[in-house]
Amino acid sequence: MTRHRAAATLMPLMSLALAGLLVVAVLDLPPQSGLAEPVAGAMDRAGVDHPVTAVLLNFRAYDTFLELAVLLLAVLAVWSLGRRDPIPARPVQGPVLHGTLRHLIPVAVVTGGYLVWVGSSDSGGAFQGGAVLGAAGVMLMLSRPRELPMLPAPLQRLGLALGVCVFLAVGTAGLLAGHGFMGYPPDWAYPLILGIELVAALSIALTLVLLFLGGRHGH
Amino acid sequence: MPSTAFMADVILAPWLVIVPLVGALLAGLWPATARWWGLLTALATLVLALLLALQVHGQGPVVLALGGWSPPLGIALVADGLASLMVLMTAGVGLAISLYALGYLGGTARGRWFWMLWLWLWAAMNALYLSGDVFNLYVTLELVVLASVALVALAGGAAPLAAAMRYLLVSLLGSMAYLMGVVLLYGAYGTLDLQGLGAQVTLSAAPMMAAVLMTVGLLVKSALFPLHVWLPPAHGSAPAPVSAALSALVVKVSFYLILRLWLMVFPELTLPGLDLLMGGLAAAAVLWGGVMALRVSRLKQVVAYSTVAQVGYLFLLFPLLWAAPGGWQAVVFFAVAHGVAKAAVFLAAGTLQQAAGHDRLAELGAVMRGRLKTSFALGIAGASLVGLPLTGGFIAKWLLVQSALEAHLWGWAVVVLGGGLLAGAYVFRLLGPAFEPGPGDRGRPLPAIMEWVPLSLALLTIALGFAGTPALALLARTLVGGGG
Repeated sequence: MTRHRAAATLMPLMSLALAGLLVVAVLDLPPQSGLAEPVAGAMDRAGVDHPVTAVLLNFRAYDTFLELAVLLLAVLAVWSLGRRDPIPARPVQGPVLHGTLRHLIPVAVVTGGYLVWVGSSDSGGAFQGGAVLGAAGVMLMLSRPRELPMLPAPLQRLGLALGVCVFLAVGTAGLLAGHGFMGYPPDWAYPLILGIELVAALSIALTLVLLFLGGRHGH
Repeated sequence: MPSTAFMADVILAPWLVIVPLVGALLAGLWPATARWWGLLTALATLVLALLLALQVHGQGPVVLALGGWSPPLGIALVADGLASLMVLMTAGVGLAISLYALGYLGGTARGRWFWMLWLWLWAAMNALYLSGDVFNLYVTLELVVLASVALVALAGGAAPLAAAMRYLLVSLLGSMAYLMGVVLLYGAYGTLDLQGLGAQVTLSAAPMMAAVLMTVGLLVKSALFPLHVWLPPAHGSAPAPVSAALSALVVKVSFYLILRLWLMVFPELTLPGLDLLMGGLAAAAVLWGGVMALRVSRLKQVVAYSTVAQVGYLFLLFPLLWAAPGGWQAVVFFAVAHGVAKAAVFLAAGTLQQAAGHDRLAELGAVMRGRLKTSFALGIAGASLVGLPLTGGFIAKWLLVQSALEAHLWGWAVVVLGGGLLAGAYVFRLLGPAFEPGPGDRGRPLPAIMEWVPLSLALLTIALGFAGTPALALLARTLVGGGG
């Protein structure tokens, strides 16, 4: 007990000290615009009009690719634990939720699709669109836990890995075609980015739903 | 040199990420065939790693701008002497672990998960070694952590699960500290590129804070004393191929990253007392790990505490980094020698454990006498851990002591030699049961490969005894920053 109490007093003090040091360090930062200028200078060759999407899917595509891989690996790691819990949620009684979802899910699908589509010219993209689609999937699971329209296991695996596979294939094709690993031919940048974003959004949505389910429908 | 001319235009570095990643994806999509993809990937990666080391040795560091976007806009892949040596060490040990896992896990359901996660881990480690961008390094670090945590939990049961959970939380803390450092560096210099940062970093509050946060975050992951508490349960309770991968390779990953940062980004920062502090922790780790390895009663626990001690040697890096030119190369050679020897010891321990059905040191005598190949492997690899002549460990410690003495750092040389005595004591303790009188017993039948792989790795530690010169020549082709 005393050890816990000592830790409980020490931790806030240490956190405060760290926060103080961070404040000093941040105050020391010079004013600068980061990479805004180089990004603006390369936008004409980026294939998309929105600088954030250009950074994520073109200039630093390798980062985004590895982040998609992190999501995929997270599901695989959860599945590898081999837990098989029964689904705890009971179906919600009454007509309200089911009626609402009947209208909400088509709207969510359209919104998610729009977010992916609009990413090339405005705020949006695969992660945002995928998150909306994933939320729709989770709602569906919650409302009908006993009659889930689950995909067979091989299709689940394929769906999860699709984003990473397509991204890797495009990136490797860029390497073979002489545009560098994770590079696009300049004329093809827009369709390739859009294609990657679409499959990535689907994989992200499926990832989120399956993470929500935990290992319950893994294998 | 015709081989150099032939290799000059070939882009190799990205393939060292692509190939294991494709292997991991195939193993995941088609689990029934996972082990064959694993084996194929391991062979292909080793060939690529050898070619990369030859290429870097022949023509010097290779820097690639990904997607044709040169830094600071894009991300650079850096294949220099340090990176290619780590990739090569990982590939050599990785192939051995893969072959061993064929026997240890075979085509079991747990084995399928092992193959997929292990290939993910391999891809993530290669991506980390070859990355030249502080944020990209963070992403690769996360991949390494996720894969390692899942591998620890693979043993099943409450204890490994608790060890995995603790490992995950500790690693996340380390990652967060590292990420804070990345943010500070970007805020200060507007670039994430290692070379670009190295050219700009000067002595001021933000980069000093970043250096401390990133170093401490990575120290947690490297399990330097007193941040080592998560390591023995995690490494000691995992399946043998996983223990070998974690102790031989994953611990080196965060050490590598610390070294990379201090070589390329922070060489201009001389934090007062840092060398003393880190050297002191290193010495404490050597002592504490050695003493604990003498006290615990289970074979794999002894080996895990030996890792705690050997991690200490790695962080003699800091006293040597500024005082002794070439001192860091000695430490890297030590890391390689330890990687090979520790993998051999953990795999041999796994074989004995499987044969005996337990790993209580006091009761292993009969099986050790019955499985002479494995006991022999344990002995040779143990000799390398101690630093006895004719092994890679001897050359590594020789280089360490030599560079410490050249810089008149007598105290650190004493730490190296004293740690060797402790290592001698716990290695003899490991081998002790084999020399008790009594009949031998082969224990449960095991695939022959589980005896041959540890023996081959042990023999490789002897080969490393002759690899000092080429390894140092390769390390001389490493990018260092600062100083303009």
